[in-house]
Amino acid sequence: MLFFRSEENVRAWCRAEATPLRPLVRIDQLWGLAHAWYSTRLQPIARRPSPAEMRTIFAGLGLTGPFWDPEHDPD
Amino acid sequence: MLSDADVAVKLAVYRHFAGTGRRPTPDEVAAGAGVRTAGIAETYRRLREQKVLVLEDDGCSIRMAPPFSGVPTQHEVIANGVTYHANCAWDALGIPAALHSSATVRSRCEQSMEPLRLEVGPDGPERSDWLFHCAVPAFRWWADIVFT
Repeated sequence: MLFFRSEENVRAWCRAEATPLRPLVRIDQLWGLAHAWYSTRLQPIARRPSPAEMRTIFAGLGLTGPFWDPEHDPD
Repeated sequence: MLSDADVAVKLAVYRHFAGTGRRPTPDEVAAGAGVRTAGIAETYRRLREQKVLVLEDDGCSIRMAPPFSGVPTQHEVIANGVTYHANCAWDALGIPAALHSSATVRSRCEQSMEPLRLEVGPDGPERSDWLFHCAVPAFRWWADIVFT
């Protein structure tokens, strides 16, 4: 889970690492993920999202498709 | 299912990271949670099963308490005068989200090594055209979370 300056750099990195290009996530979407996962982390009620909750979080941020399915391997 | 004592240990771990930026020793966790140090490793094992902690091979040193890293990484977060290390780009934004605090995120482009400096306010990061990429699908994130 890495930062990249541009899509061109992501593509170059994937070629160099012989790894598939995965969905690109904007910084505002990444904040949505970070907030959903961690905003209650220091509280007693904190828990990981369930698979269904994960799907809802991803979809709400526009992150859809097999890559984001927590219960099925797209590969 | 975690017991009240397990939750107390979890909170002691997280509050130590939040307050200091570094991983706690078992003695520090025991003192923070009001439990005996002798039982910490067993509690850590249960927290690992719940995907709350990632441990070193010794079973009592914390490698990850997401979003906090117990070891130095390329993802540095400065908030409230404390320097933290995050496990990944996601967690770099997760630290200000967990702290509910403004922060400065310092990292890099993994391809070009260009430095990233991102200011994060209470409502999220400043506008940025940088990107996040994860090579591992969601289904396999915890199969090898350190690699992910």
